Amino acid sequence: MGGACSRKRDHQDDVYDFQRGFSRRYAKSGSSKWLATSFTRPVLDIQPGTRNGPSLMDLCVRKICKDINKFNTFSMLPRDISQQIINELVYSGCLTDVSFEGFRDCALQDLYLGECPGVNDSWMDVISSQGSSLLSLDLSGSDVTDDGLIYLQDCKSLQALNFNDCDHISDHGLEHISGLSSLTNLSFRRNSAITAHGISAFASLINLMKLDLEKCPGIHGGLVHLQGLTKLESLNIKWCNSIDDADMKPLSDLTNLKCLQICCSKVTDFGITYLKGLHNLSLLNLEGCPVTAACLDSLAALDGLLYLNLSRCGLTDEGCEKFSRFGNLKVLNLGFNDITDAFLVHLKGLTNLESLNLDSCKIGDEGLVNLTGLQHLKSLELSDTVVGSGGLHHLSGLINLESINLSFTVVTDSGLRKLSGLSSLKSLNLDTRQITDSGLAALTSLTGLTHLDLFGARITDSGTTYLRSFKDLKSLEICGGGLTDVGIKNIKDLSSLTLLNLSQNCNLTDKTLELISGLTGLISLNVSNSRITNSGLKHLKMLKNLKSLTLESCKVTANEIRKLQMTDLPNLVNFRPGGK
Amino acid sequence: MKKEDTVKLISAEGFEFVIHKDAAMVSQTIRNMLTSPGGFAETEHGEVTFPEISTTILEKICKYFYWNLQFASGKQTEFHIEPELVLELMMAANYLHT
Repeated sequence: MGGACSRKRDHQDDVYDFQRGFSRRYAKSGSSKWLATSFTRPVLDIQPGTRNGPSLMDLCVRKICKDINKFNTFSMLPRDISQQIINELVYSGCLTDVSFEGFRDCALQDLYLGECPGVNDSWMDVISSQGSSLLSLDLSGSDVTDDGLIYLQDCKSLQALNFNDCDHISDHGLEHISGLSSLTNLSFRRNSAITAHGISAFASLINLMKLDLEKCPGIHGGLVHLQGLTKLESLNIKWCNSIDDADMKPLSDLTNLKCLQICCSKVTDFGITYLKGLHNLSLLNLEGCPVTAACLDSLAALDGLLYLNLSRCGLTDEGCEKFSRFGNLKVLNLGFNDITDAFLVHLKGLTNLESLNLDSCKIGDEGLVNLTGLQHLKSLELSDTVVGSGGLHHLSGLINLESINLSFTVVTDSGLRKLSGLSSLKSLNLDTRQITDSGLAALTSLTGLTHLDLFGARITDSGTTYLRSFKDLKSLEICGGGLTDVGIKNIKDLSSLTLLNLSQNCNLTDKTLELISGLTGLISLNVSNSRITNSGLKHLKMLKNLKSLTLESCKVTANEIRKLQMTDLPNLVNFRPGGK
Repeated sequence: MKKEDTVKLISAEGFEFVIHKDAAMVSQTIRNMLTSPGGFAETEHGEVTFPEISTTILEKICKYFYWNLQFASGKQTEFHIEPELVLELMMAANYLHT
């Protein structure tokens, strides 16, 4: 807790973004995407299972937040204490412009106001009063304008600034931050007003290490102002679709760059030639850029490259023999390209690969023979390919595999036996119609599974017996329509479950909710399109961790869920039917 | 209450609170004082003086120690804090690491 710790709560790392590139199909279990973001929030609540009660410090902080109107100022408190109070106010959603006034001159180090409603220029004076104590400030999503940024000139020590989704900030405002030369991290995601001229204000930020301009469509021509920022290690200009080859030239001298993301820009093979000298580059994201295999000549010079994303680049087999030169790569994303089995032979030598994404490529069984030597492979994405049971044979020796996605492939029950020896597997996606109970029967040896997706598979009640082998399952989706309450008896003891999706099984009744009432770890539950009624809701009272509940097309009303939320489920933030 | 099982906490005004050692050791700071070998005089005499903690606040803190022990043993009640004490109490809690 306290200021020192919150400093480490850094902004999300793009590398992880990239590694998770093997995309899950969030659309079907609508809530899980959003859950991922809310998990990152700090938690002050009493942790169940810990022996000790809440500290006196926590109790005091909560008491103050409850009675916040009784306090005019906190400036007499030591900094680390006032920092804890404001953190809790922000977290509990209780910070207002009135209560914020109490934090004038508190010498606060961190102000994460990114989730606070109502933040605007009138808050800036109190922010400014923190003076040179203030090290990081997040005003994302606020209504702060160009004029508001004038106040930041007093906060000379600022190291990190976040202005994502600030629609009222334009080039004119950026001039006011040009003197903040201690800045190391700066983020202006999704700003359509910033142009090349605005970027010129960054030229004096010589300590900048991380710059994020994702989805700023107007910055073409502005990167020339970054030329002198030799400490820059990470530059994100994803979805800045005006960026083209000319914008790459100024990057050629930024030799400390480790992470460069230029996906969905107009950069072509020619633009990539400017990157040849970036020997420290370990992550390069070119997703959706109009490049061809010819760019591989330039990329081969980048001997430190570990993560390469070339998905949606329109690559074909032609010229791809150059891939054999990328023996250092750990993560390679080739999803949604026109590559075929013939291409995969070029990956044979990439023995350091840990993650390979071939989503929606024209890959079948024969090509997979080239993957047999990739012994470090942990994650393999084969969704929407024509890989079938014959191909799985080639994967049976990849004993380090932790995650395989076989959704929308032509894999059948008989092939799954080949996966039964992959004892490291944690995540398996078999969302495909032809998988049935007997396929599941072949997998019971995979006792380490934590994520199992059988969304469209035709699993029936008798198939659920095999689920008993997967005691560590954290997420389970079975939505093929074949389950009744009888099958749920085999799910009710999977006590590690946090996400359970049983939607589309239209024969499930309130009995199902009664059976799963002991799965107290559940954070997300979906039993849509079933015969659940309002009177079944009472069985959910013990699911205190539940954040998301989806019961669409059931005989359940928003009002009844809201009542349950008020009386028993304080953590429930997202439910259907109903609203937030 | 045996003497060796207790500890005396003395407020700024000189008011003495004799409480169980187990309770006092809910505070990480007091625990360190009482258990660190050799160093502190507090270890020998079982007495700790807090020149910056008033009697009212120290009494409240002692109540918290016992409340915390009860909480840990499963009796989870609410700990009441008077609004007028909370700021001072928090500074003491910060010092006592509790």
